[in-house]
Amino acid sequence: MTTTVARARGLVKRYGSFTAIDGIDLTLEEGRIYGLLGRNGAGKTTIMQLLTGQIFPNGGELEVFGRAPAEHAEVLRRLCFIAEAQRYPEDFTPAHVLTSAPWFFEHWDAAFAERLVADFRLPLKRRIKKLSRGQLSAVGVIVGLASRAPLTFFDEPYLGLDAVARQIFYDRLLEDYAEHPRTIVLSTHLIDEVANLLEHVILIDRGRILLDSDADDVRGSATTVAGPSTAVERFVADRPVIGREAIGGLASATIDGRLDRADRLRAAELGLELAPVSLQQLIVHLTGTELAGAPEKEVAA
Amino acid sequence: MTATATGPVRAATTEGASRLRPNEIWRIVRLHAVNPSIFFGVPAMVLGGAWAITMVIALILLGSGVPMENTGFRYSWAVLSPQWYLIVVGVQAVSYTFPFALGFGATRRDYWLGTGLMFVLASVLYALAIATLLLIERATGGWGIGAGMFDALWYVGGDWATAFYSTFALQLLVLFIGAGVTTVFMRWRMKGMLTLAAGAMALILGVIALLTFTESWEPLGDWLGSIGVVGVFSLLLLTALAWAGAGFLVIRRATPR
Repeated sequence: MTTTVARARGLVKRYGSFTAIDGIDLTLEEGRIYGLLGRNGAGKTTIMQLLTGQIFPNGGELEVFGRAPAEHAEVLRRLCFIAEAQRYPEDFTPAHVLTSAPWFFEHWDAAFAERLVADFRLPLKRRIKKLSRGQLSAVGVIVGLASRAPLTFFDEPYLGLDAVARQIFYDRLLEDYAEHPRTIVLSTHLIDEVANLLEHVILIDRGRILLDSDADDVRGSATTVAGPSTAVERFVADRPVIGREAIGGLASATIDGRLDRADRLRAAELGLELAPVSLQQLIVHLTGTELAGAPEKEVAA
Repeated sequence: MTATATGPVRAATTEGASRLRPNEIWRIVRLHAVNPSIFFGVPAMVLGGAWAITMVIALILLGSGVPMENTGFRYSWAVLSPQWYLIVVGVQAVSYTFPFALGFGATRRDYWLGTGLMFVLASVLYALAIATLLLIERATGGWGIGAGMFDALWYVGGDWATAFYSTFALQLLVLFIGAGVTTVFMRWRMKGMLTLAAGAMALILGVIALLTFTESWEPLGDWLGSIGVVGVFSLLLLTALAWAGAGFLVIRRATPR
């Protein structure tokens, strides 16, 4: 039994002659963790701004909790969206943010917020303007987690966070999500970092959805074969190849699609090695040189 | 009738029961006041600073033997010193606090109503302070040294109520102009600001031309004189309310950054 919390059909957002969101369809179900993935400028933040009623669509249909989100208090009170480039009132400190948050989020857990402040070592009395990039991300992460909003958005939550802080975010999110299931949408271009957290992946590029699928399906959906060039070529002959590399007499090719038992036996006979493709690699293949046709290949950190 | 129940109450039970959501509006007032230095601390400091400077000037005049009647304090603009800062407060209420409130799930409507309520409350407070300080200044004979900061400009000869009313109207106008102009930027960006500036210029030139060609400057001056201080400040109050109404219409479709 799943309940739909948000649904978009043919959603369009234009800025002058630039089409930021180009007719997308998407559905968010209750109690899942979504990854909104894509390169910089792909339209991730725009989608979240549309879903939270911060900007108005130019076309298509959009329903969040059954209504258009903009200007509907009974929808907006169930959302939490701290943007990556969020503006804060003049001279605000994290302490001011945490003081006012309970007035806006009815499920706010102050004790949880306090614990997160200690976890992230966030200086409460420092002005927001003076915070480092990582500390600024921590403010958004703390509000997002402690709000327990039925539909919570995290916009690039990993920006500037160190390895320990990223692990803390990951752990706290999963712990709290287990106790208080809700719908979470996480946007990022650091894909491998969040890959294991995601239950569902929505990949966007240039305002269009390239992939909208269960994360487990995506993970097994491509395979890299490596070995002597001739053997690799014979094996991949008529299969859809989404990436190739060669060094001397050795080559590797990434095949889009699952391999069955017979395929695996054949690969073994040819002396080829099979390796699963990580979510990040797959997305580089999907949004990188092949589709964009651009000479540069994104090297995600 | 409130939409403020705690716990996961279904939206449908509160929807339509009341178009006015007191809690949703009041929390915007609290958001503006959570850092009290913006609306209260800094204006008090500016006013205090202007008062200190006035005191020093009065001491200098006293020391040099200028007779109290000739000091010219009644032409001092020191009492208006917080106005410039309050325009900025109005601007920042929309440019910074508005995007933040949207992120926290406020509607534009509730945000503007709450902000307007904050402006009214702050203006009442400033007006109370200035009208009362005016009476203290008179009672102490210019703080004991013939200094005049509050008993100046149109306040001269007016009673407490007139001082309160005129200050209230002026504060509200200043705050709503700052916030109202910024809503235009938040909705139409630079294009909107340029259009607004050009429109304002055209309007001012048009009024000047009209008054000049119809030789109405003198009748206008006479009319303003006939309606008095209270009448003039009533016009300012009406202007403030017009900005408040216009800002509401503009912000309903405004988008952050």
